[in-house]
Amino acid sequence: MKSTPEKVQRSPLILDIKGNSLDDGPGIRSVVFFKGCPLSCVWCHNPESKGSGEEISYDAKECIGCDTCLSTCPRGALSRVNSLYVDRNRCDLCFACTGFCPSGALSRVGREMSIEEIAAKVIVDKPFFETSGGGVTLSGGEPTLFMDFVSQLLSLLKTHGIGTLLETCGQFDLDRFMDRLYPYLDAIYYDIKLMDSKAHEHYCGVSNARILDNFTRLHAAAAADGRTLLPRIPLIPDITDSTENITGIAGFLGCLGVKKAALLAYNPLWHEKSAKIGADDPCRDNHLMSSWPECERLERAREIFMQAGIEP
Amino acid sequence: MQQHVAAQHQTPGGAVQKKRSTNFLVNVLLHAMAMFFNRRSSLRKYLASDNGWLNFTVGIRTEAGSVESAISFQNGKVSVAHHIPANADVVVILASDTALKKLLTAPTTEQVYMLLKSEMRTEGKQTYLLMFLFLVSVLLHNQQIKGLEKERAHFRKSAFSECPQHRPELSRELAERRAQRMVAESVDPGVKFLGDPYLPQFTLEDFPRLKKFLDLHFDTRAQVCIEMPKLLTEWHKKNGFDAKPDGTPWVPELRRGYAFKYIMENRRPIIRKDDLVAGTTTSKEVGALPYVDAAGTYLWPELFTVPHRLLFPYDITEEEAWTLHHEIFPYWADKNFRERLRSRHNDPLALRIDERFAVYFSFKSSAFSHIIPDFPRILRLGTHGIIEEIRADMTRDPGDAGRNAAREAMIVSLEGLAAYSKNLARQAADDAASEADLKRRIELENLSGVCTRVVEYPARTLDEAVNAIWISMVGAHIENTNAGLSLGRLDQWLQPYFEADMAKLETNQEREAYIKHAIELIGCFFFRCTDHLPCMPYIATIYFGGSSSDQAITLGGVNPDGEDAVNDMTYLFLKVTEMLSLRDPNMNARYHPGKNSDTYLKRLCEVNLTTAATPSMHNDAVIMESLRQFNYDERDLNDWAAVGCVEPTIAGKHTGHTNFQLINLVAALEMALNNGTHPLMRWKLGPDTGVIENGDFKSFEQFYEAFLTQFTFLIDQSIQLNNWYAAEHQYVRPTPYISALIDGCSRNGLDATKGGAKYNSSGTAIIGLADVTDSLMVIKKLVFDEKKVPFAHLKRAVDTDFRNDPALHAMVTKKVPFFGSGSDEAVAMANRITKFAHDYYTPIPHYRGGKYTVGFWSMSQHVAFGTLTGALPSGRRAGQPFTPGLTPEPNASRSLLDNMRDVARLDPHNITNNLAFNVKIVPSPHDTREKAVQDMFSYVKTYFTLGGMQMQMNVVTSDTLRDAMAYPDSYRNLLVRISGYNAYFVTLHRDLQLELIHRAEYGIER
Repeated sequence: MKSTPEKVQRSPLILDIKGNSLDDGPGIRSVVFFKGCPLSCVWCHNPESKGSGEEISYDAKECIGCDTCLSTCPRGALSRVNSLYVDRNRCDLCFACTGFCPSGALSRVGREMSIEEIAAKVIVDKPFFETSGGGVTLSGGEPTLFMDFVSQLLSLLKTHGIGTLLETCGQFDLDRFMDRLYPYLDAIYYDIKLMDSKAHEHYCGVSNARILDNFTRLHAAAAADGRTLLPRIPLIPDITDSTENITGIAGFLGCLGVKKAALLAYNPLWHEKSAKIGADDPCRDNHLMSSWPECERLERAREIFMQAGIEP
Repeated sequence: MQQHVAAQHQTPGGAVQKKRSTNFLVNVLLHAMAMFFNRRSSLRKYLASDNGWLNFTVGIRTEAGSVESAISFQNGKVSVAHHIPANADVVVILASDTALKKLLTAPTTEQVYMLLKSEMRTEGKQTYLLMFLFLVSVLLHNQQIKGLEKERAHFRKSAFSECPQHRPELSRELAERRAQRMVAESVDPGVKFLGDPYLPQFTLEDFPRLKKFLDLHFDTRAQVCIEMPKLLTEWHKKNGFDAKPDGTPWVPELRRGYAFKYIMENRRPIIRKDDLVAGTTTSKEVGALPYVDAAGTYLWPELFTVPHRLLFPYDITEEEAWTLHHEIFPYWADKNFRERLRSRHNDPLALRIDERFAVYFSFKSSAFSHIIPDFPRILRLGTHGIIEEIRADMTRDPGDAGRNAAREAMIVSLEGLAAYSKNLARQAADDAASEADLKRRIELENLSGVCTRVVEYPARTLDEAVNAIWISMVGAHIENTNAGLSLGRLDQWLQPYFEADMAKLETNQEREAYIKHAIELIGCFFFRCTDHLPCMPYIATIYFGGSSSDQAITLGGVNPDGEDAVNDMTYLFLKVTEMLSLRDPNMNARYHPGKNSDTYLKRLCEVNLTTAATPSMHNDAVIMESLRQFNYDERDLNDWAAVGCVEPTIAGKHTGHTNFQLINLVAALEMALNNGTHPLMRWKLGPDTGVIENGDFKSFEQFYEAFLTQFTFLIDQSIQLNNWYAAEHQYVRPTPYISALIDGCSRNGLDATKGGAKYNSSGTAIIGLADVTDSLMVIKKLVFDEKKVPFAHLKRAVDTDFRNDPALHAMVTKKVPFFGSGSDEAVAMANRITKFAHDYYTPIPHYRGGKYTVGFWSMSQHVAFGTLTGALPSGRRAGQPFTPGLTPEPNASRSLLDNMRDVARLDPHNITNNLAFNVKIVPSPHDTREKAVQDMFSYVKTYFTLGGMQMQMNVVTSDTLRDAMAYPDSYRNLLVRISGYNAYFVTLHRDLQLELIHRAEYGIER
């Protein structure tokens, strides 16, 4: 399922457009979620955004058990024992079932949308962006997988005077980024996960070399023109929130002169999302990763950052 | 005339036996009742009033006639008959034998629901049923009380199950909100004296007097107060009702004026301990007044049990209960609005529909209030000056005896008010003389001086002005039922007195102390507004959950010249609102985009955050745009203020009876689905409009027409009822006192009930707009546009509450764009319905002149009507609440912004009696106060920019509400907004509590 930026250049699939977000940047925002990511972090909060292709999602909580779907599947991939079972080896993603499912328990994950369609969806909320100082946040997945597409989208949003923000994992070609995206962005939220390259490769599937390098160079550029670049550190229990890693990140950022960062508390609800698309979930039985984090973990990380002179 | 269609209960095999047994049982019980009253001399006293024996007959039967019996009370003797005589005063009709048996064993609440749900109904004079039920209670009150206590225990237990684990941190969070305070970013131009208009330097802790009053407010049980009804009845017994003792007929206005004067002169003048505002609306600390010429007699069956009922329990002394039964209620049994209307129009259909609860409720059966008196007039002129003006009108227009009688009645009423004020002055002086505490003695002496000056002469100081307004308000409560009598633009009207007082002060220290005094004074005024509760029968406590008397105050907006009106008093009122979090007065705030400041709007949001529910916010520009069609003078239009819940009227110049009815739009839809039959009532009420099962509807338009036909049938009936009630008000209870305080009445020599005011209108509240819009969308899309479901199939699913068709239920709720989802089509549908309602209602000839106004708010009726409604094509299940006001259905969209945009897209031209849009916003506990307020501000300001008319907030989580349901003691002051008014959550009926819990919760997903 791993994709690299070089391979994916067709038009992207959009996972979701969520209006009225108060958490993904300043003010009231609409968030456009892209599907596909060059990383494959084991704890990914949006597991359905990892792969860049379409998927089928089955939400047992929504299912009313009408079994309309069983007869609609041409490949016999659906069956019911106690609960509905989707045989993902047989399923060829024809999505005949999702059209018939009355409750929406079976649904298509990822939809091709034109730039105009996306813009139309978010522009309706422009008055809310204006009063609140909000705008549109591009998130994912990883929007930078689709540089040309995203560039055009951002450019269109800018012609409408809409504020823009990108959430990124940092695994991209910086030159193209600076050329195509950077000019249209008001702010960039940049995830930094692990300082140890081996560990990064182990948990996220790729080395962190490019991510850290890109950050360093981007920081210089943003500092020069006053653009917001906010590093964000997801606190994953026993993976990223170790004292050693947090100290490492704080040190790295401190050396660059970063004054502000965001610590993201762990949210275990992603396990449910993983189950819906039938994805492997190696962390499911990990106690720490299936429960809400203890406050001390967040506090410890905050203290380390403050000591490094960074406001968390 | 339409006929009741008796439900045909087929009773094959064994029915005869069953019939006999139930019939036998009823007979035995009635015989037992007769025997007790005939044999026990101690009970016979209840069979008489001070004017002789109570003579009446009550019949009981089932729809099918399987049971029939009657009990007759004649000259102190009780007898039972096997057949109901033709002259029976009232007949109770049970849907079936089963229903009858249920009635005999069910707890009180269940009995009330049986009445609401048409398992039983009455024909004839309800007054006599009330008498009968009282006599039943004479025999059974001990059992009834035990039953109520048992119900209370049961409800406590089930509330407990909502949240078995108490979470004290939730109530702590609410308390902590009060500790936080923001500072203002700027000072509005109209603010002359406040350094920081948010007044962050003060907390409730700085006002021990208010703190004590707040405790009393929550700890004091209300008592039924018979002072006013007793004086009213006394006066009428002595002076006659239709005619004077000498036989000449009374001019109703004069009769009423003299009765009012008598009451005001003879009421006990009370200055509450430590209060800065004199006068009370009842003789109790907190009182409930039975308005016996309106619906007061409905308390009759509960005279023994009212202290024990679940909701709004009121204490009552044995002596007062006896006086009500023996001397007061019997006098009014035939003279109240409802029974007079019934006998004059032969129990008309329009009234019988009203008495089945499910379709419309005519508020005129109990009140005409919903008015803002012209308080500035009493401040400017005093009663003395107003009387001079009225006399001048009389001199100018000497010819017409009728007009001058109306004016004379106004003068007599004002004299009554002035007399009450003088009595208060005397009382304050007496209290001062016996007061040991020096500080308090000075306060009382001052108060005595204040009441000597006002209300007779113009007010000069803020203390005089506030007291004058309250004393005038007391008069309004004595004359008119305390439902929606409103206070208007108090910040505007009091500012000159505040400024004059401040101007006299020289040092900053004096000024700071005076600001503190002003806050305390307004706080006392707020508590005065809480000195009464509506005297509702038990059924109304369920039907109108948790509503107090809804005295609306309106802040902000623009002045008559159209300029920013926000001033020092605006912020003083907001400070008091924030510190006290009271349900009444009902706070409303006008925000005029482009004229009022962001600082002011942010403060409104902050107060909403602190109090969780108030004030309700209005878009000044849009409200005025909607009212422009009535051609009010521009200066008057700029002076609009909310009445009752949210309804706009022209303050002091307008008889707007803005809640003449609450009408159930969904009932029209149900009747269209059933060819004119209302399903719950099993009553073929409306005209034939087509049978779905016969394929009568070939297009959506045909069905829409059917819906409109049923709707207009209901409107016509309800208007007819309103007109009839209006005539009863004009005769039984004209309002000379209020008329003296409404611009135009004296000039025109016409009582306010007859159209004397400068402006006249009546306002309806149409309930269920979102539910009907969504249902029509389902029918349009799935049945006709996409042809996915045959109409008969959908109808069958609706009839069976979707029990056998979960897939269809899922489809209608998930696959059809609802109102609030951002769908143009759904918004167009909602606009189409509101336009029809507006175009139909507005030009209907109005008995006072003027127009009908159309509003979309629901008080608590979205829950009550919901209980009485089956499943809907929108997928709403049987018995579930409708959405409050015109709030979109919670699942219409995941984004609150879609809801806001859609509501803002409704054409204000069609919504002339305002709307109620409930928004639940829950800031994250991690947010700073500034961020939380900024987010709320962004929502409200944008919604208003988009053209939204009104918005009201509930800033509380479902978890907190669940905790409050189970542990009410920790949440006594948890304020919630229902649809237009505020209530304390813990005093609400369970259904309403659950509805609030289930409303969509927007906020931060974490």
